[in-house]
Amino acid sequence: MQKLTSFAPDYARYVLKGGKMFYAWMGFLAVLSAIAMYGYYLQNTEGLIVTGMTSQIHDGLYFANLVFLVGVAAGAVTIVFPAYVYHHKAMHEVTVLGEMLAISAVIMVMLFVFAHMGRPDRLWHMIPIIGIYNLPGSMLGWDVLVLTGYLLLNFIGGFYFLYKKYSGGTINKTFYMPLIYISIVWALSIHTVTAFLISTLVARPMWHHSMMPIRFIVTAFAAGPCLIILVFQIIRNNTKLWIQDEAINLLSTIVTWCLGMALFLTLSEIVIDLYARTEHANGLYYLMFGLHGLTKLVPWFWGSLAAMLVAFAMFLTPSIRTNYKLLPIACVLAFGGIWVEKGMGLVVPGFIPSPIGEVTEYYPTLIEVMTTIGLWAMGFFILTILLKGAIGILLGDIKYGGQAAAAK
Amino acid sequence: MKKIAFHTLILAFCCGMISSAASAEDVTCFESRKGASEVTQRELKPGWPNVKCSPKTGAVLWWGDPFDGTVPMGEMPLLDKTAAAKAVVKPRSEKLNILPMCGTACHNGVGPKFMPPTLPKDKNPKPIPTMEGLLPDAKNLQHGRGRIWCLDCHHTTQRNKLVDNFGNPVSFDQPQLLCGKCHGDKLRDWRDGIHGKRIGEWASTGKKRWFVCTECHNPHNVQDGARNRGFIQIEPETPPQLPHGMKDAKYELLHGVSQH
Amino acid sequence: MTPNENSPVGPDQELSSECSAQAASAAPLEPVQTTTSRRDFLKGGGMLSLSSLVGAGALMAQTDDAQAAIEWAEHFQGNYRLMTPQEKAEARARLERRYSAEYGKKVTVDGTEAKDGVLMGYALNIRKCIGCRRCVKACVAENNQSRGPNPGERIEWIQVLRMERGEFSKEKMDHGYPEGLGIQVGGNAYTPAGQVLEGQYHYEPKAVPEKDATYMPIACMQCEKPPCVKVCPVRTTYREADGPVVIDYNWCIGCRMCMGACPYWARRINLTSPILPKEEMNPVTHYLGNRPRMRGVVEKCHWCLQRTRQGRYPACVEVCPVGARKFGNLLDPESEVSLILARKNVFRLKADLNTFPKFFYFYD
Repeated sequence: MQKLTSFAPDYARYVLKGGKMFYAWMGFLAVLSAIAMYGYYLQNTEGLIVTGMTSQIHDGLYFANLVFLVGVAAGAVTIVFPAYVYHHKAMHEVTVLGEMLAISAVIMVMLFVFAHMGRPDRLWHMIPIIGIYNLPGSMLGWDVLVLTGYLLLNFIGGFYFLYKKYSGGTINKTFYMPLIYISIVWALSIHTVTAFLISTLVARPMWHHSMMPIRFIVTAFAAGPCLIILVFQIIRNNTKLWIQDEAINLLSTIVTWCLGMALFLTLSEIVIDLYARTEHANGLYYLMFGLHGLTKLVPWFWGSLAAMLVAFAMFLTPSIRTNYKLLPIACVLAFGGIWVEKGMGLVVPGFIPSPIGEVTEYYPTLIEVMTTIGLWAMGFFILTILLKGAIGILLGDIKYGGQAAAAK
Repeated sequence: MKKIAFHTLILAFCCGMISSAASAEDVTCFESRKGASEVTQRELKPGWPNVKCSPKTGAVLWWGDPFDGTVPMGEMPLLDKTAAAKAVVKPRSEKLNILPMCGTACHNGVGPKFMPPTLPKDKNPKPIPTMEGLLPDAKNLQHGRGRIWCLDCHHTTQRNKLVDNFGNPVSFDQPQLLCGKCHGDKLRDWRDGIHGKRIGEWASTGKKRWFVCTECHNPHNVQDGARNRGFIQIEPETPPQLPHGMKDAKYELLHGVSQH
Repeated sequence: MTPNENSPVGPDQELSSECSAQAASAAPLEPVQTTTSRRDFLKGGGMLSLSSLVGAGALMAQTDDAQAAIEWAEHFQGNYRLMTPQEKAEARARLERRYSAEYGKKVTVDGTEAKDGVLMGYALNIRKCIGCRRCVKACVAENNQSRGPNPGERIEWIQVLRMERGEFSKEKMDHGYPEGLGIQVGGNAYTPAGQVLEGQYHYEPKAVPEKDATYMPIACMQCEKPPCVKVCPVRTTYREADGPVVIDYNWCIGCRMCMGACPYWARRINLTSPILPKEEMNPVTHYLGNRPRMRGVVEKCHWCLQRTRQGRYPACVEVCPVGARKFGNLLDPESEVSLILARKNVFRLKADLNTFPKFFYFYD
């Protein structure tokens, strides 16, 4: 019990200490988060009118980021799966970092849910018993269920591991391993359900196709590992924790495969939709070429496609894939490209045209953009803390009985 | 000719008097089309107007009391299932400015200028300058494309009445009995509530104010003007608000399907 | 010209439900003072309500304000459909007090339930519609929608599409592809010959109907199998026993899934607190109908529940100058909609989606 009560202060003491760079980074994120909080305040006093959302295009930046971040959360499974199913040694050492990433990504998703809702003060209506939970009918209900479950699984799994490491105890496999296997399947479920969330809306032909879940999964398993590779490289360069090349190489292999499949699915969709060019292809057509002379998203689409193609070419070339100077560039390109394609590029054209053919465009406001950036900052704030703590424990800097060593 | 002009003037003057009876401050709105039934805005109860009107077009948008100023519709063939009090109309006679004159001043056959009465002896069309002066539509009547004439609808001797197939007079409040002579399919749909307009209670047994033919259609100019689908053109209400960020609606005029 | 005493809906109507007594006792509080304080309170409340539980303490501290107490009780009331009759009456009485104070007149919030043997249905004669938009405005006059000047502050439930008739022409036969090899695909397809779904919403000619256009009004279809109801995570929107799909505005969390699910774009989001001038506010309301909404909730057409439950035609039916709009009981073979279904050619919009609208388009 004493171990447990000393875990939290030891952990907190460690993660709150750092060098100038650390404080500058955290301060920067804090300022951005404060702006997001102001955005929250405005949305809860003035209403969503401070955003660019309308009755025509009623899901915008927030929903787009929400969808994308669910993918990032699910992407953490690309560490857990090889580690525990294929017993990949290098991955096994850093599994907990993947879990930390999943926790922060799910928290970010929830922050975006708050930002997206018209009445966040009534969220308690969704809590069973005091509220009503429309299962099995509502796909959003399922999404909340799987996301909350995923957060809990990763939180319990991750912190159980860290605590055992901290206290020097042995891991109870009969408790821990089922948790891991459930969380692997669960990771797939969160993104599948998020895909169902929009692809079950028959009113939106752009989304209503059965390719959506697999497309979500492959883009998630491309974007997620890209972020992880970047994080790993930052960790390797800035902390004493050395993440082995094999781990990074495996991740870039996964990205290569998944990015290739994502591109393949995108091209398939383009061919199938534009060959017949029915009214149902109007959303995609708007995205690619514009509709009724409205072309705001066209450069974004081609830009993201170019970024993904370049990234794919880079990943496909072994000399670049294993070159850790060039790899981050490929990762940023792929991550950015998928963020546009799956975020704004998927959500907004779903509303253009409206189900009864009204064509309007989405003009996000400054408040909306700043809130979005601020929520990302908040997510990175949490991610930094979680990773720092996890690294400290992995390195043995935080240890029961031992003096918590100052962070590097 | 002079006498005719004189009579026209008197009539026109009387019409003017009647129509200007409403005071200038009152807001008068039209119900179905301009020139047919009109209502003056007033309060039935505090905060409860008899009608709400469009600030743009002056059309009635909303009735506080759908039966305000109505009278029983009167007998109507095959509508006997409906109790008399359940079918009401707004009397058309009140709105037809020259109607009171028609039966008394000129066409009663006893006026000073009608000695002896010069009422038509047959139904063959002939120019009637007085009426054309009063009612420009009558000069080039398009209704029926020349196959019908004034006295096919208006009673020969009782000019404040319409006429049915047997030559019996029909009230101006019941034009359906006249129009149904030719437009039988429309009459049937109207009787069943499919054609035309009714306000009030929606239940098939409910009390309704029926809009009669001439409240929506002007029988004298049915074919005239730039019209479409049998209706005279009216001014539309304002378009919806442009959503956030959209500057104008010109993009709507471009067509989406412009490629393969 | 005295007001007819048989008027089915009027300010002095007798509400059959037990709430009428409470309604009568809900004397309007002094409007100006209370409204301001309530607004301030709402603002504070909105900020705090980021987390209801965190905000709870601060809100409770302000309950000396009677309006705040009402607001507080309203905030924690349950889903209307699951309330007991007693709770329903209380919820309505609470709203009557709040609205009466806010709009400076006696506002009634009706709770009349669906009648047995009634299934409301609607039919619209698509050939008759002249695109005058009077139905749109009548709906606003009746249903207390927001009507502010800024984008997003004006809500209209009915949309009227202008569809170009277009024309086929010989010249266009040479357009298409493959170019130069004999046109296989194209021809008159790239211009609106016949009709395309992408109609025009913002048409503003001097007069309608125009020669080269037809019109298509669209509002909620009150589906028998409504996709919006299925996706709602909190069951705040549901199909009433007599047909209309309604929303408990006090239970809606503003997630907008229903808006995404609706194939007819029938739903609107209140992006901000509705702008509704006191003098234009319609004081005869229904809990599931036209009572004033609040910021952040979704609203939609409910076939004027406050009127139709009292027997009166919906506002859009009454206003249509060409009589294109018809309303009645689908279970009554003598009703006008039943006769239309029996006699006319009818179609449902987007019938392929199996939503089974109770809104039928027909033509002569």
